[in-house]
Amino acid sequence: MENHLTENELIEYQFKLGSQEQQNASSEHLAGCAECRQRLEKLNKRFATLDLLREDAHVSEELISQVMAQAKQPARQKVVPFYKSSWFGAVAAVLIIGFVLLISNPDTDISTKQQLAEEPEPKGRTVRKESGAKREAETALPTRMLAQDADAKMGLPPADKLAQEEAPTRIVAKETSDLTDPTKGSARDVTAVEAVIAPTSKPIPEQPPFAPASAIELVTMPRRDKVQLTIYNSADLTLVRERRNLTLKKGWNWLQFMWANTLIDPTSLSLEPLEQAGKIDIQQLVFPARLRELGRWLIHSEISGQVPFEITYFTSGLSWRAFYMGTLSQDEKTMKMQGYVRIGNNSGEDYENAQTRLIVGQVHILDEIAQLARRQYPYDRPGMMKYGVSLNERDADIINGAVKGVYAAWAKSPEELSRKDIKKEGLSEYFLYTIEGTETVPNEWGKRLLSFEAEDISVESLYKYDEQRWGNQAIRFVKFANEEEHNLGQTPIPNGDVKIYGHADEQGYLSYVGGTSIKYIPVDEEVELNLGPARLVEIKPKLMDFKTENYTFDNRGNVSGWDEIRTWKIEITNTRTLPIDIEITRGFGTAYWTLQSETPYEKHDASHARFMLELEPRSKQTLEYTVRTYHGTREESFRQ
Amino acid sequence: MELMASMENTDKSLIDAHRKGDPAAFGELVRRYGDGILGYLIRMSGNREQAEDLFQETFKRVHEKAHTFRGPQFKGWLFRIATNVALDGIRRSKHNKAISLNQQLDYDNPNSEQLGEVVTADNSCNPSEQASKAEQTEQVRRAIRSLPSRQRATLVLAYYQQLSYTDVAEVLGCSIGTVKTHMFRALRSLADKLPEI
Repeated sequence: MENHLTENELIEYQFKLGSQEQQNASSEHLAGCAECRQRLEKLNKRFATLDLLREDAHVSEELISQVMAQAKQPARQKVVPFYKSSWFGAVAAVLIIGFVLLISNPDTDISTKQQLAEEPEPKGRTVRKESGAKREAETALPTRMLAQDADAKMGLPPADKLAQEEAPTRIVAKETSDLTDPTKGSARDVTAVEAVIAPTSKPIPEQPPFAPASAIELVTMPRRDKVQLTIYNSADLTLVRERRNLTLKKGWNWLQFMWANTLIDPTSLSLEPLEQAGKIDIQQLVFPARLRELGRWLIHSEISGQVPFEITYFTSGLSWRAFYMGTLSQDEKTMKMQGYVRIGNNSGEDYENAQTRLIVGQVHILDEIAQLARRQYPYDRPGMMKYGVSLNERDADIINGAVKGVYAAWAKSPEELSRKDIKKEGLSEYFLYTIEGTETVPNEWGKRLLSFEAEDISVESLYKYDEQRWGNQAIRFVKFANEEEHNLGQTPIPNGDVKIYGHADEQGYLSYVGGTSIKYIPVDEEVELNLGPARLVEIKPKLMDFKTENYTFDNRGNVSGWDEIRTWKIEITNTRTLPIDIEITRGFGTAYWTLQSETPYEKHDASHARFMLELEPRSKQTLEYTVRTYHGTREESFRQ
Repeated sequence: MELMASMENTDKSLIDAHRKGDPAAFGELVRRYGDGILGYLIRMSGNREQAEDLFQETFKRVHEKAHTFRGPQFKGWLFRIATNVALDGIRRSKHNKAISLNQQLDYDNPNSEQLGEVVTADNSCNPSEQASKAEQTEQVRRAIRSLPSRQRATLVLAYYQQLSYTDVAEVLGCSIGTVKTHMFRALRSLADKLPEI
């Protein structure tokens, strides 16, 4: 295709910098030109590095308090140096003329002075001499006006109507002046005061306010105080518990929860006050028809002020997997093991300072949460919580509704949730890992966390040779047990990848030995890690002799049975500087065999024999054996 | 996802309350926009310490100039103030170049605090990958810092703060055409400087 897009045009296209016609033309060209698409992709990859700086910044409380302290100081007046003013000349001229006039009329000046001296003191000054509330009323007049204005906007009666309830209004006035006084209380105190200001004297209307589906103005609430993630890896399911401090006013409150671009299951949403539960009633959760991906809780509160709430819901998109790093000691008799957990977040939501808990084990759920999250309004089955019903009834509803098993177990109060952890351990179906401290898990990020670290785990290094399984090479294994004797055994070890390193030299440099993946290791179970082919241990089997004998014949004179005798010589070379143990398994293709060897062996199974050998460092050893296998009618003689 | 409440705490009502002397309202505004503004200032200045100074200066100006706010969008107004503060600050720091010993250390040591943000944030890979990622991050940071301040502001607002070109134009007090020109020049310049992954 001729006239490829230039790099500039690609940039303009990608960042929508050109006109609509240019965009359309570029789009058309790209649709038919693979080369340009490739170049665009390359360009995008380069600009993707910009995302390395996309990390969110978080303002510390210290910085906020510094800003607030600054705000309490009086606003700085812009000072224009007098000499810089363009009016300087004009003003100076006026002053000079005035001065000249003054000198020329000294009498007028004196009379003016006298007149001023005879005038009574201003009223304001007299009032200031009065005591108590009246003085305060007079001096507080400007701020009272502000308060009245504020009240009018808040829908409160004017200040004079609140004569008996003046105290709260006065607090507003006082706080107004406090803004300029750095010695007064902090911003948080004021929030508390503001809570008291709420129309306490007004009776709460019995009918809840209508929740309009139109886009009314809504405001972001404070960020989460705490968040806990419980990730069930096997089911793409995560239970999120958030704690947020919500400021309620006395009466009816609408609280809005949005989950756009996330994978939250809306029917799993639950809200519970953590304090003042008797005074706060969560009436309902509605999903307004015309507004997508949001729900509104109607909360009836008998108090005003900040109340901690817990919001729980299920989401998908969070996952975890375990992997391990083992470092063998120089003599390869002990190993240091570090377990890591990598958490990936593609849930569409950032979780900041989250306590992260991981569930090991299979859970049964009826629906995939990811699918539940993608449902359209009205979100299919009514899994919505019924408020004001007992917990048991609620559980029953949930079970009948969306998710069984885990869902029912977890959609409970915080106290029950914590009790549930212990129950799960008792059932032995799941195991709960709680990661110490908190972690921030932003969306589209992966994070690796250390899950455990154990020193001096006794291990056995073992080489294995089994031609039928691994071909003509020895395989290296490391064996250890997940038990207390081996400095492990605290918890089961989840399945994951293991990489084993060895000490390459005395300086502590590491060399990669091998890696494998392990399955779930329960406590007190043994595990063997296959580290792959061992290049420093060589095994060469040679067939030294083969013969057949003891033929038997049937009535027609045909051969009906015979013995095969093979003599094998296996040369084992250990080029390592460490002694090794090697297990050699030989298969005979039949269950009818006898074996003669100077080296002891054990019958591994019907058709295999196993030799265990120890080799000194940098040494060779030879294993010889003769095996007789019985065939045809000779098998019967073997049985006898 | 946001948690919201249909209470009287809109930006407009908060700024009104602040004008009337309610410090809680001001605190709410700081909390609401703090993260976004700090992120913007860090990217503009390339230095968290300086960004925190600029952050304080920004909200100080918001406090002082609250009476001049006429709406409709507080966010745009706030970013305009932050941009002015940032541009002033960057200009000043060019004149009075003070070298912090810590900062010097930051550049020398890839594991130090400045780059640590990236290294600790994604410790999912091995040390060599971390080091290479830290190096790439530093290259991106240098590339952005090398942009003229107006281009940098345009890029940060449009790309990182995800403001529309119309909003960027409002924040920077120029036309959309100018914004697009700045953006194009910034991207053109970055295309040659950004590391390859």
